[in-house]
Amino acid sequence: MGTTAIRTEELTKRYGDVAALDHLNFEVAQGEVVGYLGPNGAGKTTTIRLLLGLVHPTEGRGEIFGIDCQRRPVEAHRHLAYVAGEANLWPSLTGAETLHLLGRIHGQVDDAYRDELVARFDLDPGKKVRAYSKGNRQKVILIAALMVRPDLLVLDEPTSGLDPLMEQAFRHCIHEARDRGQTVFLSSHIMSEVEALCDRVGILRMGKLVEMGTLAQMRHLSALSVEATFEGAVPDLSQVPGVASLQRDGQIVRCHVRGSLEPLMKVLAAAGVTRLLSREPSLEELFLAQYGAETVEEAGQLGR
Amino acid sequence: MVADLAIAGQRFSLVRGSPRTVIARLTARKAARSGVIWGYIFGIAIASSAISYTSIYKTRAQRDALEAAYGSNKAMNVLFGPSPDLQTVAGFTAFKVSMTLAILGAIWGLLTSTRLLRGEEDSGRWELLLSGQTTPERAALQSLGGLGVGAFVLWALTAAITIVAGLSSKVSISAGPALYFAMATVATAVMFLAVGALTSQLGATRHQSAAYGAAFLGVAYAVRMIADAGVGLHTLVWLSPLGWAEELKPLTAPQPLALLPIIAFTAVLGAAAVHLAGARDIGASVVADRANGQPHLRSLFGPIGLAVRMVRATVISWWVGIALSAFLYGLVAKSAGGTISGSSLQKVLAKFGAPGTGPDAVLGVCFLILAILVAFLGAGQLMAARREESGGRLDHLLVNPVARTSWLAGRLLVAIVVILASGAVAGVSAWLGAASQNAHVRLTTLMEAGLNLVPPAVAIVGVGVLVFGVRPRAMPIVLYTLLGWSLLIVVVGGIGAVSHWVLDTSVFHQMASAPAVSPNWEANGIMTAVGMAGAVVGGLAFRRRDLQGE
Repeated sequence: MGTTAIRTEELTKRYGDVAALDHLNFEVAQGEVVGYLGPNGAGKTTTIRLLLGLVHPTEGRGEIFGIDCQRRPVEAHRHLAYVAGEANLWPSLTGAETLHLLGRIHGQVDDAYRDELVARFDLDPGKKVRAYSKGNRQKVILIAALMVRPDLLVLDEPTSGLDPLMEQAFRHCIHEARDRGQTVFLSSHIMSEVEALCDRVGILRMGKLVEMGTLAQMRHLSALSVEATFEGAVPDLSQVPGVASLQRDGQIVRCHVRGSLEPLMKVLAAAGVTRLLSREPSLEELFLAQYGAETVEEAGQLGR
Repeated sequence: MVADLAIAGQRFSLVRGSPRTVIARLTARKAARSGVIWGYIFGIAIASSAISYTSIYKTRAQRDALEAAYGSNKAMNVLFGPSPDLQTVAGFTAFKVSMTLAILGAIWGLLTSTRLLRGEEDSGRWELLLSGQTTPERAALQSLGGLGVGAFVLWALTAAITIVAGLSSKVSISAGPALYFAMATVATAVMFLAVGALTSQLGATRHQSAAYGAAFLGVAYAVRMIADAGVGLHTLVWLSPLGWAEELKPLTAPQPLALLPIIAFTAVLGAAAVHLAGARDIGASVVADRANGQPHLRSLFGPIGLAVRMVRATVISWWVGIALSAFLYGLVAKSAGGTISGSSLQKVLAKFGAPGTGPDAVLGVCFLILAILVAFLGAGQLMAARREESGGRLDHLLVNPVARTSWLAGRLLVAIVVILASGAVAGVSAWLGAASQNAHVRLTTLMEAGLNLVPPAVAIVGVGVLVFGVRPRAMPIVLYTLLGWSLLIVVVGGIGAVSHWVLDTSVFHQMASAPAVSPNWEANGIMTAVGMAGAVVGGLAFRRRDLQGE
């Protein structure tokens, strides 16, 4: 791994007795695009606000390009730009004024690229912020972040309110950023977005990082989805090693297989399988595998 | 309909009462909170005024002297309204607090109404509420109902404290007149709740709506002043909402018929607000708002430029108000000053810290009022800074290479410049008014008096920064309680029955009443030092704390 863009060491944030973030340790290398996933309240925004120095850790520390986020925030901020999920801007300023202001404050703006972004995102910069829709306000802060070509883009639900066309434009910009060697830290609920953009993904649960790796690594550790169709009698697969989540629908059996496929294949071949489909889990399935069972269980408890 | 949710063995009620009144209840809760605070302030102001009168003006002779001084003084009538019966506790109390509380009530009504109507719309919460079982008209009507609850709380507390104070045998104000007096006191609050409801439909933002309402209040006050100037135009009093409240004549010669225009005005404006709320699109305004604007990039060079841009319109409107007030004070200083020599008013002014006779003595008290305005303006600058944080806009600045302390220092610099300029505006405007009447007051004297307004405001701002650094969410209540307390103490202290330990807690009491006396530069230095110390400690605390939303 080359230069480290983000590093957290035992980063912890407690609000009273509640641990919003619990001894978080991870690194993001320069040039990586890392997705950061977790349900509402898992601690994603808290992590980002700690890295930005907007809130202070109860324990631990965070670094941006080796610079302590809390002790030297101004230096750390020279390397980054941030897009919040909610674009709370100054209502009486126009889009152009907002971009000018944020550019002046950051100190380095690629004017030509800014104009290109305005065109690409189809933004009318002459309008006042209060006249913009939510999506257009989001475009303003996206352009403001991208136009300074920072070493690190910290994005917290950046496409909130954007239409599919603009989301495509956003993805294109992130690909360009990666090609230029910029680092991207993307917190998102849109799995397809993370899957399409990110080299690595971290999954956060109740303030703890429960998974961090490339999609391939995660898939390797996860179960494969298998669907088998039989002509004759359907065999009992419940005792086959590695098989779980067994479902039967007439002559069709669906299950998840963890580890080697060999034991299952032997049973299927012996039973006269006529059609066999298998696929790797999507990021959404990987995510739900981390949360699904507990969420369903909690919902059941609430309903009782 | 009530829906309950059981979580971990506890039951949470999701909806209490009818969902059709949820907006009314939400608005009522918010309005009642500030109604409680201001109800206490109103009640204590009335009670302290009445009780102090009984301890200072004990004899008939003293009360006759007071009547002779105040009762016939046109300048005082212009500022505070008629003073028909100063020989009684009730008459004096009505004269002493009515106009001040009427104006404070109007400001409360206007700010509460615009905050809970246009402010909610600005924040996007209104849209959420409108997605419920309601229409824009019904939602506006519900909000008006909620605001009415706030006004009721304000009235009830004011009345309760007045009744308790009236139980004293010396004060002796019975329950009926006390209830009527409280009603007269909050009448302007009720009317300006309706004004705010209407301007919330006219303006595109909360600030615009409040500015329209403030302009109307300024006109209403000016019309009432002319009506009470004793120049044969008293019928003009019926053209001003402040005049109607004055014509209720509580505790002296009650005139309940004056309630008719008050009720009609409130009802018409309320109905117009409800109608317009339904007629316009959400987020839109009746007065066309320019969706596009010419970019003015030069001023947006950084956080300080942004701060100036954001507060510019509000500050200019305050300066206009301060300039007009100071000009009027200058205008009446000579005639008012001519009547006080040898009268008991001279003693009264002396108790306000403005000894002597002539225009200087009158201006000494008038500059005390200006000091209050300047301090409120300074506090407003700090509130604007806090709103940047609570609204999430500060995040966009601080994720850039901008240190928290330099941002805060920039905001403070803007606040200090605004305060200093306000002092200058007050000094020059008062001199222009006085000079137009050949009052022989020197410009340098009034500029010095203007500069003298700065230290109390700096002290208030400094204490505000301290609270901002430590407990930002508590800052508005601490800041305005401190201002309200200082104001109350100086008003009560003006009639002399307060321990100096209590008096010393008011920044306005620490300020010498220039130009009646020379500014007390030592006290000014201490107040400035207190302000600076508060700002430094608050700034350090701000650096170490988390940014906090609403």
